[in-house]
Amino acid sequence: MAILSDSDTAEVTKIFGALVRDVYVKVYTQKLECPTCTDTETILRELDELSERLKVSFLNLQTDREDAVKDGVDKAPAIIVSDGTHSRVKFYGTPSGYEFSSLLTTIIDTGGSEEPLTEGTIQFLGDLDSDLHMQVFVTPTCPHCPSAAVLASRMARYSSRVRSEVIEANEFPELSSKFRVQGVPRTVVNGIFFTEGSLPESMMTDALKKGLADDPSEETNLMDYLQNN
Amino acid sequence: MDLKTGLVGSSSSISRELDLVIAGGGPAALAAALYAARYDIDHIVLESYQPGGQAALTAVIENYPGIKTITGGDIVATMKEQAESWGAVFDMSSLISADPFGDRIQIKADSSTYMTRNLIIATGAAPAKLGVPGEDKFYGRGVSYCATCDAPFFRDARVLVVGGGDSAVKEALHLSEFVSELVLIHRRDKFRAEPYLAQKLLSCGNCSVLWNTTLKEIKGDEGVEGAVLNTPEGEREMKFDGIFMYVGRKPATEPFSNLIELNDNGTVRTHNIVHTSRENVFAAGDVTDNDLRQIVTAVSDGARAASAVFDLLQ
Repeated sequence: MAILSDSDTAEVTKIFGALVRDVYVKVYTQKLECPTCTDTETILRELDELSERLKVSFLNLQTDREDAVKDGVDKAPAIIVSDGTHSRVKFYGTPSGYEFSSLLTTIIDTGGSEEPLTEGTIQFLGDLDSDLHMQVFVTPTCPHCPSAAVLASRMARYSSRVRSEVIEANEFPELSSKFRVQGVPRTVVNGIFFTEGSLPESMMTDALKKGLADDPSEETNLMDYLQNN
Repeated sequence: MDLKTGLVGSSSSISRELDLVIAGGGPAALAAALYAARYDIDHIVLESYQPGGQAALTAVIENYPGIKTITGGDIVATMKEQAESWGAVFDMSSLISADPFGDRIQIKADSSTYMTRNLIIATGAAPAKLGVPGEDKFYGRGVSYCATCDAPFFRDARVLVVGGGDSAVKEALHLSEFVSELVLIHRRDKFRAEPYLAQKLLSCGNCSVLWNTTLKEIKGDEGVEGAVLNTPEGEREMKFDGIFMYVGRKPATEPFSNLIELNDNGTVRTHNIVHTSRENVFAAGDVTDNDLRQIVTAVSDGARAASAVFDLLQ
């Protein structure tokens, strides 16, 4: 049964009209112990039908091990969005609710004609001399999550120094528990920096710049770098 | 399956002159944007990084005339789509400062600067903090201000809700679907919430209400483990896994303190509903000192403010 309603299909077709370049989407699922893999695959198969620019491929996390290791995928469902040259931008979990909005925006960012990042952020990314691993925990009912998810995805799309993972917190309870997620959006950077809520782009880069220079040895709230200055 | 198709905007790096800047992303700002676009006013909406404002965080809306029931997220998404279809222009930036510049106003946002003839302040309000020990420490560790976002983390848990207004009761009802036990405390002996909502909560199977009770302290180690309450019978410590706060709102007016008169509680001092102490600055929605703070009044304010700007520009 179709998951996208007629109005969703019409709206997404209109949105995909902005694609001027091919966008490559890899979907990793598995048959066992993944209750949300079928829905994820169905949604991506339906999206694939809506634009010639979208090139969706489907892989199995268990049988396509070599690809999974190369792409750095260790759980399913996983979605990778790129221009075909990297696997830095990942979404883990069903792209439903507000996560669908984050996925659509990332597809448009990748294949659209406009650069969504500001000059300040581009400068920050160009100056990076260490890697950033950004994990953004979200839920499908959280309206403030897409801005945090999309900012991480945009930074990873632009810079080979950055990897982003947008994680549906309910579908990966062990990971959520590891990072003690009880509120969303929660962004964790390099496992050491964290922030609750959605920070404006300039505040995020400002805090990261100060945090990376500080190089703390224990978990640190990025807001501390903004409040102390 | 519910799929949200609204795209996330981007911050602008462009600086330019405009006839109108609308600051805010909730219903008041979106209504102002719709009317400004239809009046063909050269404008931009600084929608901030939390588009939709407080309305977007409301699980169910049942009192907006013409729509029987809708989620907060869907109503603001539709409002934005409608405004955009008429040509409203959005910049996903937060306003940082607004200062007089001759007869214009200079607006600084995250990465852009605008010089504008007119400004509509519709920046809304953020959940107020109670200021009790443990509140900041456990934010995101069991303390939450958004049941719509965070309720799934408290499945089968025991939670405390603080407050007695519409938001507290509405969100408590939403939470009660997830949790095993919900205790609501209110500092008074009756609800301020609509009687319909209050009755619904009082008849909810896994909810209980403690009247004349306040929160003194939040206890825990890594996360929330309990709370100390001040009850009419004295201090009482109870175990909770999560605490949701709905104790009022703090108007987002800090950047405007040099521009217009504010009231002691931080709201914009208005006259004739949307007019402020400065002729070319208007205010709409929860940021004002108007008494009713609803979506229906916010959109009305937004429309009035855009109309007033249109009149000024003639």
